[in-house]
Formats: sequence, C-alpha cells, structure tokens
Amino acid sequence: MSRAQRWILGGLLVAVAAGVIALAGASPLAGFAALVRGALGGERQISETLVQTTALLFPALAVAFAFRAGLFNIGAEGQLIVGGLFAGVAGSALPGPGFVTIPLILAAGAAGGGAWGAIAGALRARFGGSEVIATLMLNIVAALLANYLVAGPLHPAGVAGAETAPLPVSSWLPVLLPGTRLTIALVIALALAAGLAFVFARTVFGYTLRAAGEAPQAAARAGIDLRRTALVAMSLSGAIAGLGGATLVAGVLHRFNVALSPGYGFIAIAVALVGGLDPVRIVAAAFAFGILQSGSLSMQALAHVPKDAVAFVEGLAIVGLSARRIAASAARAD
Amino acid sequence: MRASSGATLEARGIVKRFGSVLAVDGVDLALEPGEIHALCGENGAGKSTLARIAAGILAPTAGEVVARGAVGLVHQHFELVDRLRVWENVVLGREPRRGLRLDASAARERVRSLGAAYGLDVDPDAVVETLPVGVAQRVEILRELARDPATLVLDEPTAVLAPAEIDALFATLRALAARGTSIAVITHKLAEVVAHADRVTVMRSGRVVLRAATGDTSIEAIAHAMVGADIPALAQRVEVAARPAFAARGLCAGDGAHALRDVSFAVGRGEIVGIAGVEGNGQSALTDAIAGMSTYEGELVLDGQPLRGTPAARIAAGVRVIPQDRRREALVLPWSIAENAALGDHARAPLRRGWTIDRSARDALATQIVDRFDVRAPSIRTPLAALSGGNQQKVVVGRALGHAPALLVAYQPTRGIDVGAAALVQSRLIEARNGGAAVLLISFELDEVQALADRILVLYRGAVAAEFVRGHFDRARIGALMAGAA
Repeated sequence: MSRAQRWILGGLLVAVAAGVIALAGASPLAGFAALVRGALGGERQISETLVQTTALLFPALAVAFAFRAGLFNIGAEGQLIVGGLFAGVAGSALPGPGFVTIPLILAAGAAGGGAWGAIAGALRARFGGSEVIATLMLNIVAALLANYLVAGPLHPAGVAGAETAPLPVSSWLPVLLPGTRLTIALVIALALAAGLAFVFARTVFGYTLRAAGEAPQAAARAGIDLRRTALVAMSLSGAIAGLGGATLVAGVLHRFNVALSPGYGFIAIAVALVGGLDPVRIVAAAFAFGILQSGSLSMQALAHVPKDAVAFVEGLAIVGLSARRIAASAARAD
Repeated sequence: MRASSGATLEARGIVKRFGSVLAVDGVDLALEPGEIHALCGENGAGKSTLARIAAGILAPTAGEVVARGAVGLVHQHFELVDRLRVWENVVLGREPRRGLRLDASAARERVRSLGAAYGLDVDPDAVVETLPVGVAQRVEILRELARDPATLVLDEPTAVLAPAEIDALFATLRALAARGTSIAVITHKLAEVVAHADRVTVMRSGRVVLRAATGDTSIEAIAHAMVGADIPALAQRVEVAARPAFAARGLCAGDGAHALRDVSFAVGRGEIVGIAGVEGNGQSALTDAIAGMSTYEGELVLDGQPLRGTPAARIAAGVRVIPQDRRREALVLPWSIAENAALGDHARAPLRRGWTIDRSARDALATQIVDRFDVRAPSIRTPLAALSGGNQQKVVVGRALGHAPALLVAYQPTRGIDVGAAALVQSRLIEARNGGAAVLLISFELDEVQALADRILVLYRGAVAAEFVRGHFDRARIGALMAGAA
C-alpha cells in the first residue's frame, strides 16, 4: 500500500469514526477529546495505554513475522489464548522464586502458542492447505478448547469461574511504575521488536524467510525449503503470540481465563499492516491502537459514545488493510 | 477519410503514451496490398503497441489510423479458448445460425474451406488444448481469416515454431498476400525478415529508424538500426580438451505431453551442449530434474559423484541454473541488486558468517557482477524491478557464473532481452566453457544453439532424436528433426 493510499484510508477512517460518534448522539469533537484525555490525560492513563500497546505488540509482531514469510496468520488470537492457557497452568502450579518461575511461564506460553501455530504450518507444509483458513478456524477451536479445559478437566478446586488458580505473587511480572499495571512485558516486547528487525535485516534466517515470502519460486530454486520455512515461520509466529498471552497472564490477569483477550489477535492484523510489517514501525502503530483501546473506555464514560464505535472503526481498518493481502494469498494458493 | 494510394492500412503520426512512458512516438506506416511487411525492433521498441493500435484494440494518444477493410491481429500469446473445439474458436462471436440454433455443420464447413483455400490444414473438431503450438497458431490465423481481413498483422508468429513450420507459415502468408491481403509480421528474427519480407520497418524507442526494401538492406544494417550500435562480436572459443563432467542416464521426468522419456547424454567440462527443440518437448522437465526441483527416474552424475537431493544439495555440488522465467524463478524483484546477488549462495561462505549475512562480501559480489556484466543501474541498491529485462538477466547470469560452476544449465538465457545484452550473455557462456565449466544450453532459438554449442542434441517429444557435432551442424536436418521428422 502506497503512502498516499495509507493517508486516504486513514482519513476515511477518521471520517467514518466521526460519523459513528455523531450517530451515537454525541459530538465527534467531544468524543475525540474524551478519547485522547482517557488515553493520554495523566500518568495512570498513559500507563494503561502502554499496557494495551504491549498487549497488541506481541500478536502484531507475530502476524508480521508470518507475513514476511508470505504466510497470512490470522490466528494470532488463538495462539495467544493457547499460550495464555499454557502459562496459566504452568504459573498456577509452579512454586519458587520469580526469577525461576517467570522465565518458565513465559517459555510455556511461547511453547503453547508455537504448537498452535505449528498446526497450521504443518497443514500448509504437508498438504499445501491454506494457512488463512486453518488459522481462522483454529481461533475458534482455541477459545472453546481452552474454556472447556479450565471449566472441566483442568478446573482447580476452590475456584469459582472457568479459570485457572491465581498465580502466586512471586510469579507476577515485575511492575515498571508502582501503582499501575505496566510491567516489564513492555520491555520484553520492545526488545523482541528490535530483535526481529535485526533478524530480518541481517541474518541468513531472516533472508530466507523474506525470499520465501517475496518470491517463493525463486527462493525454492535458490535452495530454500519452502515447506520447512512455512512450518518454522508459523511455529515462531505462534510462539510470539503465545508469549504475549503469557505476559497477559503473568502481568495483567494473574490467572488464565478466556476473557484474557478482547480480540488483541485480530486488531494486531491491522497494527501489523499499518506498521508496514516493519518491526520498528509496528511499535508506533501498536501505540496508536493502544490509545484507541484505552481511550475508548473513557469516551464511553465521558462522552457517552459506546466503546464499540472504536471496535467498529478498527474492524473497518482490518478489512480495508487486509483485503488485498487475502486476495494475493488466495491467488497464490490456486 | 480515404487511405492514400492503394494502402489497406495507413497509420499517421501515431503517438501512444502509457502514464509517463512514451511507447510510440510519432510513427507513420502504410501497408500495401500484396506485400509482406516486417516490423522489427527490440523489446520495448513499441512494435506490439503499434500493432494493437493498427488493429483498433488500443486507441492512440495522438494520430490516426485509416484502414480499408478489416484488420486481423494474430497475437503472440494465442488468444484461443483452450477447452473449445477448433471450429468453435474460429466462429466465436460470429456464429452461423439456423433459427436460434448454432449451425455447427456450416461452421465446420467454413473451417474446412478456409483451411483448404490457404493451406492451413486443421481438424475442425479437435479440442484446442490438445493441439501442438504450430497447429494452434493455424487456428488463430484461421479465426482472423474468417473475418476476411484486408490487413493481417502477426505479432512474433515464429517464436514458438520449428524451422519447417516457419517456412510453411511464410508460404501461407505469401499465398494470402498474392490474393491482395496486406501482411505485417512483427519479429526480431532478422534472417526471416530478409528471407521472406518485401519491406522492413525498424523501430527503436517508439520511433521509426529505418525503412527499406529487404532487397536493399542486410541483416547487419537492420540489427544496427534496431540496437543503435554495432552488435559486439561473440567471445572466441578456445580449444579445450573436454573431459567428462556431467551425465544423465535413463532420465524420465515430468508427465503428460511435456515429459522426458529415457534421455541419456553427457556434458564435458569445457563443452557447451545445446538442446535444440521447440518449446514443450521436455525442456522444462530436464531443467527441473537437474535443478532438483522435481522427482524423476534415472541417474544424474556430476564429476563422478551421484547428483541427487534438494536444490540446495545441487547448488552445493556446483550446479547453477539460469531458469527460463527470470522474473518469477530467479529474482526477487522488489529487492536490490545486492540482495539478489546473494540468493542461492546466502547459506554458505563467504556470504554467510555465522548467523548473519556478511554485507560487505555480498556488496562486493554484487559490484563484481555489475562490473563484469555491464549491468546498467544507478547503484547496487537499485531494486531489480527498476531494471530493464536485459539488465535483470545480466544479474541472473552474473550470479550463476560468479562462483565458477561445475555445471551451468542455461534455459533460454537470452529470452526477451535486447540484442546487446544477449550478445554479452552469450559471450559469457562461451567464456565459462573456455574456463572449464560444463554448459548445458537449452534454447528454442536454433540460431542461438548453433552459434554457441559444441554439440547439439535435438529434443523431440521428450527424447533425444539426434546428435550433431560442431562443424557438422546440418540446419535443415536439425529443423526437420525438431518438427518430428524421422
């Protein structure tokens, strides 16, 4: 998408947002003002915006990672949930000091998300199945399966809802700003973005991924194994999303339940595309969407605009940005 | 308005602009009844655009086309409905009717009588996708003739034909011309122009740079006009004692009509073996088998070692392939020259250093390719998509030859590139041979195979029909074998 197209789409979205707010019976200007105040109006608001930024950044990096390898992973949501489930189960069972348990919890989350991503990767590598369909469907499977497990077989005694037992306080992610929910998850996410930028720009592995994504036939003739690339890329993409799920469990909820994500894995697609699939620009895009996420609540409270208005506009952004990618991916699968 | 003199088609001051690109820049052209007019030029010179304007498919930005009678255009890439029968294609859009029904017998009869009148023999009930290319082209010509055109324009009609089929085509065109039709043939094969055309118009960069009767000009003069410079002479071949390097034994690959059936041959170091054949006779299956891109039966040997495994294993063993379709099979178009230079060698030293790609080694390799192959680009950071076809191909060939391959497979290495670039690529292939590489040249252009090869194998329907050694190339015999003569 060209720079001009991006501006046009952005302008259209702002116009639609203004229209939606007006339809909800509020003044668009007041709505926007409430949104900005709610997201950036003070230390507490900014820290909450950064919590949302972090939650979006992991799955957005996951989506971008797969995309660069030519794979449209729209299953970051499911991978995030499975990662959260693994992290919640591990975290509520593991005793010990945080410097031991926290890395194990995060690793469990990455492993869970990675395994979930690997299913779609294996289907693509083995049978040439479309990863778009597989990841989309696996989202639903993940949510229902995880809910079933924490409500049934894995349901801990003495817990009321469909969720794991709470994590011991020692296993909570350290907080960056006292009195807020902002944890070192943000640092991990930023480090991950920098790491991915390096992988793409400098490493042999990143080079093979990009070649497979940009020109699969040329890549195959140059000795790059496309099947292996698909499996590895989907697995690592899932692992990144699963790691994000683990940071939500260990940093925000301190337990696992399926309310873990209000759709971060879907919004992440728009974040990744707005960020041009470039890890550094995705950080900026995640912050912008983080403002929308956290500001929408105060817009609802102060300007009486339903927060669904933001979800509506985000949904439009996802459709607008991904339509061409889906078409390209479908054309390749033929 | 009437066309001046007796011209069936007259184009005056034609200009065609695509965005910022000026494809045709003020061209006048008149086609006289009874003549075969050759329109020559390099890729991108504007010939095809002019043809489409003449046929009324494109509107010119400026200028006018005056035609007396219908204009038929035979496309370079046939525009036939593959799943329909010959007669259905010929009458498509102008179906004879009987009441509300399609009159199939009248349509069949029309195809038969047209075919008989012009010597274009085709079974009206054959399904187009089952036909060989030469026959499919006859269908395309028949379809245009069914409209009784005063002018017939053919865009690169000989690109996919064997020499005997080319002679038959021009015999048909001559017969058509004798009945008063104007014929324009777009081609870049200059030997055909001189042999068969009455007049020639050469275009370069959208302008006409030469008009002549073919009797008053020469291949050299036409080539000079096309390129705007003299064609560099090919590199000299040096006598090299060829020693066995590569062998294929009992190779069966691919499936269907384009399969390779029990092919055995050897290529020595210091030798160019040319595979002559019309497209679709097993060339792709052969290339893919050697590259490791497909499964096959039989045995491949390189320098005494069995050659097998993945494409990566073949590359490691010293095999380099210049694939047919550079844009899809060889290059990552959005990437820079530097990034493309690494493709295929990215996983080994000197480009690989631990986990990372050594960017200075990569840039040095790219600079070496640009210098040695005269790649015209602002810098090694220029994306491949911004280069001309010829310069893209120089990058592909330069990369393949960069590491002194043991076996080089060059599949249509000069396809669709300008004459100057083609001469450079051909010279580099000869130099690689002189330097001790085993070179397998697979080309649909017999001229190219003849110019470069030490031995020629004729590939017909997936099997080697005959072998010729340099000094004993019998062009007529090779051409006949390419067309299936026993």
